[in-house]
Amino acid sequence: MSKHKLFASLFAVGAVLAACAAPPSPAPQAPQPPAAEPTQAAPAAPAQPSGDEPKVAGVDRRFDGVTLRAAFIGGGQYEKMYESIKDWEAATGAKVEIVYKGDGFEIDKKLKTDFAAGTGDYDVVWDHTSFFSQYIPFLEPLENYFTQEELKDFSQAILKSATRDGHLWLIPRHADISVVHYRTDLYGNEQYKAEFKAKYGYDLAPPETWKQFFDHAEFFTGKEPGLFGTNFAGKEEALSGRFYEILVANGGKMLDENFKPAFNSEAGVKTAQFFRELYARKLVPADMTSLLWDGVANNFCQGNIAVHNEWFGWYSYFQDPKNCKVAGKFDLIRQPVGEGGIRSGWAGAHAFSIPASSKNKEAAAALIKFLTSEKIMYEEAKLGFLPVRDSVWARLIADAAKSDNPLDKKRLEIAQTAIANDFFAPPLIAEWIPLTNILTPKLQAIMLGDLDAKQGLDEAAAEVEKMLAEAGYYNR
Amino acid sequence: MAQLTQASALERRFTSARRSGASGFIVAMLVPSLVIIAFVVAFPLVYSFYLSFTSYTLLRPIPAWNDFANYRRLLQDPIFGQAFINTLLFMFVTVNAAFLMGLFLSQAVARTIRGQPLLRTLLMVPMMFAPVMVGFQFRWFFNDQVGLVNNILTSLGLLNGSIPWLVDRWLAMFSIGVATVWMNTPVVAIILLAGTLSISPELYEAADVDGANSWQKFRAITYPLLGPFITIALTILSLDVARGFDIVSIMTGGGPAHRTELLWTYVPRVAIQEARFGSGAAMSFVTIIVTVVFTLYLFRQLLKSRIL
Repeated sequence: MSKHKLFASLFAVGAVLAACAAPPSPAPQAPQPPAAEPTQAAPAAPAQPSGDEPKVAGVDRRFDGVTLRAAFIGGGQYEKMYESIKDWEAATGAKVEIVYKGDGFEIDKKLKTDFAAGTGDYDVVWDHTSFFSQYIPFLEPLENYFTQEELKDFSQAILKSATRDGHLWLIPRHADISVVHYRTDLYGNEQYKAEFKAKYGYDLAPPETWKQFFDHAEFFTGKEPGLFGTNFAGKEEALSGRFYEILVANGGKMLDENFKPAFNSEAGVKTAQFFRELYARKLVPADMTSLLWDGVANNFCQGNIAVHNEWFGWYSYFQDPKNCKVAGKFDLIRQPVGEGGIRSGWAGAHAFSIPASSKNKEAAAALIKFLTSEKIMYEEAKLGFLPVRDSVWARLIADAAKSDNPLDKKRLEIAQTAIANDFFAPPLIAEWIPLTNILTPKLQAIMLGDLDAKQGLDEAAAEVEKMLAEAGYYNR
Repeated sequence: MAQLTQASALERRFTSARRSGASGFIVAMLVPSLVIIAFVVAFPLVYSFYLSFTSYTLLRPIPAWNDFANYRRLLQDPIFGQAFINTLLFMFVTVNAAFLMGLFLSQAVARTIRGQPLLRTLLMVPMMFAPVMVGFQFRWFFNDQVGLVNNILTSLGLLNGSIPWLVDRWLAMFSIGVATVWMNTPVVAIILLAGTLSISPELYEAADVDGANSWQKFRAITYPLLGPFITIALTILSLDVARGFDIVSIMTGGGPAHRTELLWTYVPRVAIQEARFGSGAAMSFVTIIVTVVFTLYLFRQLLKSRIL
């Protein structure tokens, strides 16, 4: 049971807080997200970048003849980092063989299977603060490979969320938190403003509440050919996470303090009904139930979506006019407030781990030091990802101050405020992903009208309770 | 007499020794194969059968015996029942559709005089695609926003709006079926074309003399003589369709909301995504038993129809 208390203490909030913010601030201890108001001021930027040129790390030792096998997240913005691996290979004499690439959910399935079968044979694997609790029996504790000096520049809150049972299991790569993206060309259209005011009785402005968000989705759908009000990632953990996010905003909980399912509460039913109404009234694309992060981002990028929940990490992609029709035509705003008076920003950090079965742990640690070094993290942060080193934050803020685009700076301020006030992470239990694999199909069934909201959530709650009971959290 | 008896006894002993030596040699030669088969087939089967009686999960990979709990859970699992029925329907429809189309194509190509080599090559194009690619290709065809099918229907003025091909239960099953049939029809066509071309032209000439029409020639000559080829084609086709995880996985993943769940998407969902490996193993064994029964039934029916 003490283990479960430890999980609870890690539940959220403070976890990744200040992931991107600095200077290092103490993580909030309470397991509930902070209330929406009053808003804390955005944390001050860290004092200074570490020097004129960002530093690399992990290149001070040779590993001639060593070949590291890696399983990394792939696709979109994630690929850029891997181009730097050849520099590490040149400096150390080692080789890196990326033997598996997939999205986060694909890697999760692959790792779970390979670890259980003892066939992984990886030296470095992509990991996530939401996922790593599942793999702990198969991971190498990292505190022996990274000195305190090497770790001091990282967000201490994230490192705390990557620590369980007194051991450090992850080295973070970047963090992210939900933020609303909306089309300025639509919200700024005078005709639309007048029509909206006449129909809804209040001014058209970026959504402050989820109720307004729904109204906006309804209003904009069909206003232009192919335009939908909004969209959400509609499968895997992504849908459960979005549900969880609004559930928290509406004052609900996923699990109670005894790890019993609590998502089938009144707040849960309202949240599920919100998704149901969006789908039934065709305010989202019909194929939303088959979309993941890249799918919804692409819909926004192509100008098919008026307003939606998104990650900061897509920023440079959306701002590239060669790829996106919405480049220069969108803005960001903090998450809306739910019926519980809460703004909730689902958050987490991408990271790297070393499997316990690795035969090249020293070289693997060197590669991770390189990939999470100030230089590489800075390069990746320039794509839009939120960094997890204080020194890189300082550089980004300094860069944004010189930018011609005011959104470059504004987004960082929003990120800091959101992280300081809205942050919450899923429960750090090994069963989180299996839990979402039970919940997501039920949410889909509710959206599609196959199940009533209450019935669907009750069925999911019963299955989750059974699973957690079998896992030893309690007796049914 | 005594000498003869003694000689006979000696001969028997030598023969017996030779026979036992030969048997020993045969066994010795078979041992490596048997060991390999035991290692790669029997052990995994036996071990996974054992796991189906345990609460083994990927998160805590320590088997704990739980009797028939996994099998009892199967009987109470409505999604498993739905996946089971979906699978039977899917197999029945796609195998028959691919067979009939393959048979039609083989007969059409066999009667083509000019350009037959080109047609044969074109027929084989779908076989060159990996199932994963076919899945992606057809997922795009049937995408409700930017998909080829909706765009064509809209361009022809037949559609105002969009059809959610991969969301609606029956449309999604139909879409997956189309992709599966498209990929598997050429195998049938090529095998049956080879069979058709091997039939002696003299038989058809004799039928012409008797005044038989095309349908009568097909019923009396082509179809019966294609029997062995049909058996091979159906066997390969059934196996290919039954291994069609990639296409379903890419196009719908068994979703949304389990609407297109087939056994080969539901088993990995339970075993890997939900990490309940013991339950997944139990499902697999139920599936294996059903498959064996289905195969025996299929071959019995083929025997009855004298195709075998």
